[in-house]
Amino acid sequence: MTLLFTLFLSLICLVAASDYHERLELQPLPAGSLLASFNFRSNASQQSFDQQHFRYFPRSLGQILQHAHTKELHLRFTTGRWDAESWGTRPWNGTREGGTGVELWAWIDAANAEDAFAHWITLTQSLSGLFCASLNFIDSTRTTRPVATFEPEGDHHASDADGSLPLHLLHGTLPGEVVCTENLTPFLKLLPCKGKAGISSLFDGHKLFDASWQSMSVDIRPLCPDDGSECVVQIEQAVDMVLDIDRSKRPRDNPIPRPVPDDQLLCDTSKPYHSHDTCYPLDKTTDKSWSLTEVFGRSLNGVCSPAHDADSSDEEEEGSVCLHVPHERDVFISPGAVEKKNLEETSRCFTLQPSGTFDLVLSEQDENHHRHSALETPVLSAERTMIGHGQERGGMRIIFDNPSATDSVDFIYFEALPWFLRPYLHTLQATVTGHNDRIPRSIPTAQIIKESFYRPAIDRQRGTQLELALSVPPASRVTLTYDFEKAILRYTEYPPDANRGFNVAPAVIKLAASNNHAYLRTTSLLLPLPTPDFSMPYNVIILTSTVIALAFGSIFNLLTRRFVAAEQAEALGSQTLKGRIGKGLLSLRDRVKRKTKTE
Amino acid sequence: MATPAALPPLPFNPARVRSYILRLPLFTRLVLLAIVVFWLLELQTVWAVIEWGALTPDEIGIQSMHRLNTYPFIHVGFFHALLNTVALVPLLERFEAEHGTLTSVALFMGPLSTLPGGLYLLVEKLILHRNTSVVGASVWVFLLLGSEAIRTYKSHPSFSLGTLKIPTWTSPLFACVIVWILVPNTSFLGHLCAILVGYLLGLGYLKFFNPPEKVLRWVEGKLNLLGRLPHYVSVDQKTYGRYGVLPSANNATGERGSPMSYLGSTQRLATLRNLRNNPQFLFIRLPYLLSLLCIVVGVVWLLLLPLDEYSRQTYISENALLPGQVHTYFAGSEQNVFRGYKKELEGLLPEGEARNQADLSPVISEKIQSALRAAGLKVATQNYEYTSAGITHQGQNVYAIVQAPRGDATEAIVLVATWKTVEEELNLNGVSLALTLARYFKRWSLWSKDIIFLITPDSKSGTQAWIDAYHDMHSPSVQSLPLKSGALQGGIVFEYAFDHRFETLHIIYDGVNGQLPNLDLFNTAVAIAGGQMGIGANMQEMWNHDDSYEMRLQTILRGMLKQGFGSASGAHSSFMPYHIDAITLQAKGDGWQDEMALGRTVESLCRSLNNLLEHLHQSFFFYLLMQANRFVSIGTYLPSAMLIAANFTIMAIALWLRTGYDMESSAAAAAVKLEDNKKDEATPKDKPDDAANNKAVVERQLALPLTLVVGFNLLGLAPLYLFNNLHHGHFTIAASFIALVDAVLPLSVAALLARGSAHPPIRQQYLLIKSFSLLLLGLALSALATLNFSLSFMVGLLCVPLTFVDRISCSKAPVRIAATLSGLLVLNALSPPAVLVAGCHYAGVSVESVLTHAAFGWDVWGSWTPVVVWCVWWPAWLVGCVLLGVSLF
Repeated sequence: MTLLFTLFLSLICLVAASDYHERLELQPLPAGSLLASFNFRSNASQQSFDQQHFRYFPRSLGQILQHAHTKELHLRFTTGRWDAESWGTRPWNGTREGGTGVELWAWIDAANAEDAFAHWITLTQSLSGLFCASLNFIDSTRTTRPVATFEPEGDHHASDADGSLPLHLLHGTLPGEVVCTENLTPFLKLLPCKGKAGISSLFDGHKLFDASWQSMSVDIRPLCPDDGSECVVQIEQAVDMVLDIDRSKRPRDNPIPRPVPDDQLLCDTSKPYHSHDTCYPLDKTTDKSWSLTEVFGRSLNGVCSPAHDADSSDEEEEGSVCLHVPHERDVFISPGAVEKKNLEETSRCFTLQPSGTFDLVLSEQDENHHRHSALETPVLSAERTMIGHGQERGGMRIIFDNPSATDSVDFIYFEALPWFLRPYLHTLQATVTGHNDRIPRSIPTAQIIKESFYRPAIDRQRGTQLELALSVPPASRVTLTYDFEKAILRYTEYPPDANRGFNVAPAVIKLAASNNHAYLRTTSLLLPLPTPDFSMPYNVIILTSTVIALAFGSIFNLLTRRFVAAEQAEALGSQTLKGRIGKGLLSLRDRVKRKTKTE
Repeated sequence: MATPAALPPLPFNPARVRSYILRLPLFTRLVLLAIVVFWLLELQTVWAVIEWGALTPDEIGIQSMHRLNTYPFIHVGFFHALLNTVALVPLLERFEAEHGTLTSVALFMGPLSTLPGGLYLLVEKLILHRNTSVVGASVWVFLLLGSEAIRTYKSHPSFSLGTLKIPTWTSPLFACVIVWILVPNTSFLGHLCAILVGYLLGLGYLKFFNPPEKVLRWVEGKLNLLGRLPHYVSVDQKTYGRYGVLPSANNATGERGSPMSYLGSTQRLATLRNLRNNPQFLFIRLPYLLSLLCIVVGVVWLLLLPLDEYSRQTYISENALLPGQVHTYFAGSEQNVFRGYKKELEGLLPEGEARNQADLSPVISEKIQSALRAAGLKVATQNYEYTSAGITHQGQNVYAIVQAPRGDATEAIVLVATWKTVEEELNLNGVSLALTLARYFKRWSLWSKDIIFLITPDSKSGTQAWIDAYHDMHSPSVQSLPLKSGALQGGIVFEYAFDHRFETLHIIYDGVNGQLPNLDLFNTAVAIAGGQMGIGANMQEMWNHDDSYEMRLQTILRGMLKQGFGSASGAHSSFMPYHIDAITLQAKGDGWQDEMALGRTVESLCRSLNNLLEHLHQSFFFYLLMQANRFVSIGTYLPSAMLIAANFTIMAIALWLRTGYDMESSAAAAAVKLEDNKKDEATPKDKPDDAANNKAVVERQLALPLTLVVGFNLLGLAPLYLFNNLHHGHFTIAASFIALVDAVLPLSVAALLARGSAHPPIRQQYLLIKSFSLLLLGLALSALATLNFSLSFMVGLLCVPLTFVDRISCSKAPVRIAATLSGLLVLNALSPPAVLVAGCHYAGVSVESVLTHAAFGWDVWGSWTPVVVWCVWWPAWLVGCVLLGVSLF
């Protein structure tokens, strides 16, 4: 998957003034899963962007950015969790995904922090409408200004040189937001082909949102080539998802995983007790067969090449659909498409026909052990859970595990906590457990934490922001714990589903080991707060309000309305102020007319 | 002369109330009497009074004209009668005082009941064409209110509410509307008619109904009514004005009848006054009566609970659960897989008899792990070790997580299959079922929560170790969990400990320390088992529940007994302290349900829990179940334990008051006061008499009582420590030792108190000792009742004799010693060790095993029943014994 990443980096460097690229990477994962990474990228030159002359760049988004003075924007919609244990490292090294729910961060130019926040609110409100997401709920309590966790991807030095306003980074998350089709539709509308042609024609809400893990991202950054040519504004949209092949292949009209018929049951026949009604199940050791149409529920419709003049760049590319399977594996493709195998014998790409459908079929094959070894283990794994119980206080436990036997891992741990979770930082404790002896040893936190940035919460105004620069020694597991207290909310501050608990946004971890950054995120948490019994007062209030509203509405209506016959209405109208003025005017006019006549 | 200093001031002057009641005029009394008589008549079933006398529009004819006069006297129930009487008496009394008895009779027997009645009939029958029968004196209440309102209107035309001026004559209308809204089944129309007639009366339009004064006077004089009838209000003596004549003036001038009335009621008056002025009764006998009443009512209350009137049908509160609304698919070839897993595990078990005793060996654990891993789950293990009473409990939990396909590890459900059931039988079917279900659940994509399959080696300690570690609250001997998920929303334990088919599901729901899972979870299980799967559901081992009173009561009592012990009743119990609702489903009996039916039940339960949007919170957490679909909620049953606890508090407070003044002097004073009061009846009796008070107040000597009670309470820590830290082999000896201590310690302390020092404690100190001890007991038990009702109730009942135990101060030594010894015997029979031994003997278990169990509960589950026994019950019991023992010396 680093391969994907390097590929992506190389793509970034290929900047043309105004163009559009799309690419689909398919990679089968162990345990019958399939990783599909869709990438759409288009540019607009800075000049045309400023003049609102949009070609492939979506106008709706461009205008929002200009209005909100946003220079660089990153928006993420994510659901599910990446199973690093069975799937390996994250796609794009985690740079194209967010925490569960919606995550947004942007660089905004403004004279001071207040202006930046005002622009930020404008931005979230506009994006909320554009993406049908509750981004408008990112208020001051959910907004943070990370210091070390995020770095701009674009080139902003040019604008700095102009003496323009400084850039402010603002970051907000909505961990409870459920990502669904209403977010996909606006996402597709930003694309030039709007899901009608090209790889985006594969997007089917049913399949996309049935994925085990799925992330949609929108990244906008200004890029200035090193050769001094004109800067461009680049928008990159990506959809990454891990599909369960078995599940995706189920027909839509019969999605229930009923028990298979007896004769199709795969049994271990070597067992002595094996008989027609006794079966020790055998796990499949073969790679499952699948095709694009089966897995996505649609077939790929032609090519999306809105730029007829940009054929040249298309030809340079290896093809818009790439499949990462060993060369030994048989792949059948629709006629017309051209297959191109790369040299590393691990992938092949297909160049599609401009029209007509494209399908790709992989036959069932014995599991390839070669590929399993290729599964890269992540550099670091992190787990964050709540500990303790009760309504008053609890604790947070974060476990970092460094699997490497030789290298220590340096990273930045960033966590934004809601204000009603009040951490006690003096209780922050660290223990180290070696992989060999498995004995937890308490150590002073200074040994692990190199630097820390802590911005305490203010009730109902802002949340806690905690950024720690950490280093985990090789082959060991570091556990950080701290205690917190749960605040008691005012009763109007509880959401309708107060007893569910309150979401705590995932922590973000930025691995700084390599020069290209890698990110990973923990899962979000559910914080149960002390909750009053709402049902009784709510029932009473709702019932009485309804009755009073109904009674008041109709009675008030009857009282204030006058019921008159249609003929009377006119007569009545003449008595009102308006009628009198009209009458006066009429008589005045008559008098004037008479005068003129007499003259 | 003395008014006891400690007498609390009453909120009203009882003397005035009494004198008011005694001064009620004749007609008012007659009306009251009639109302009471008619109410009593209704109690019989032969003659339907209401049907006879109610004002029913369709029944009115020449034959039944009496209805127009009888309906105000008849009421439909006790409360109806009571409320109307309370409202009517002051109004009617005033009316009669103003107009005289004869006029009142004439008006109320005539126009004032027929007019509103007729008006009501007219409107109801001719205009509304309805037939609602009305009864009750409220018609007079509103009539009189109406006339009063008119009179008020004449003096104060309006009262202002802010800037709004509201005419005062409307007040009865408001009252009418409010009564109509608040009180069900009141006749708005009837009241309105009454108010209307009242207005007419107040405005004087009905004056012509008044019999002429001359006639009245003549009648009065002829019959000498004034002399013959007590409380008669003469025409001449009627009072005028809104407030009548002041009572004092009344006494001096008017009411010629009153001396007569006093003569008639002196006897009653004396008892009433005695009650107030006789400290002997108020402080000594009354508390015993009250305490006894509390105890009796408390016990009877509990016995009433199984009745239909006091219990309720269960229902699902949380709509999201939708029990049994989904189709379950766990069938077909899954059964082959189940058999495969079962055979595989069976192959690892020893043959023959040893099979049922086989532990979850590492080989089996490995096999379970590999099966779960092959099904695609994340698998982890946890080792734990507990030592309690010298016994080491250790094992390895195996658990696996079906990650919610689109979830984020925020919420999870736990399914537990214990290798050994609650009854220590091999749960092979249950474990195989867990493996099959895990494999089956993995294929579904609809899970919104992670599903954790936990396989523990036993039902006692395994889940406790796991759930403690899940919340990072575990002891060092328990391993941390390498793999975790989100907040747990519910837990289901399933057991199937035999090879044949089963008949019913036995649901166990008790948690540690009497905590219960949300009733919704239990209801869901019952609804799914009974409604969807057609499997009966039982509880509390009541296999043949015929829904009779006895069966219901037995179920409640069994539940209370289990709750009161506060120990874990199954693997699910350990979840409860963490506010995770959990139950155990046990397959029981011999029927035609197979393991797949149990699997489908679990599947459907999982689907219901999966629907949950919020943590289970809607339904009850405090309840007593008497049948699978009948329960009593805390509001209904709590008073029973509270009353038992209150009996101690009442006695403690009474004793405290009693120690506050000198009994001997005040008893003499009371007699003087009695005569004194006879003389000046009219003067208020609570006039303080300083000299007498000072004489009665006594300083309380607190040092000895406090030391003794606190000392005994601290002493309770000794057996608590002893029984939780001894080796289990010494438990029987320790119990006997405590029994011995129980016999010797109180007597020696008593001897020391009575004879040990030059100044033996005075009576007041003994009373204070008892007061403090009972106060602590009452406090502890009433607080406990809200947490663990059953334990509080049981301990409260066992402590009941302590309220009545006191130093016996009989002058005859043989009688005293005999009474003391028999009392001590009774008390010793109710001492904690004696109750323990008796209970063990009755249940047929050894004392050692019970104490080992209790120690395990203390060490592992964190149950605090031992604290209640040794630090609440035992000290109170010791104090009781000491007090009784003192009378020996």
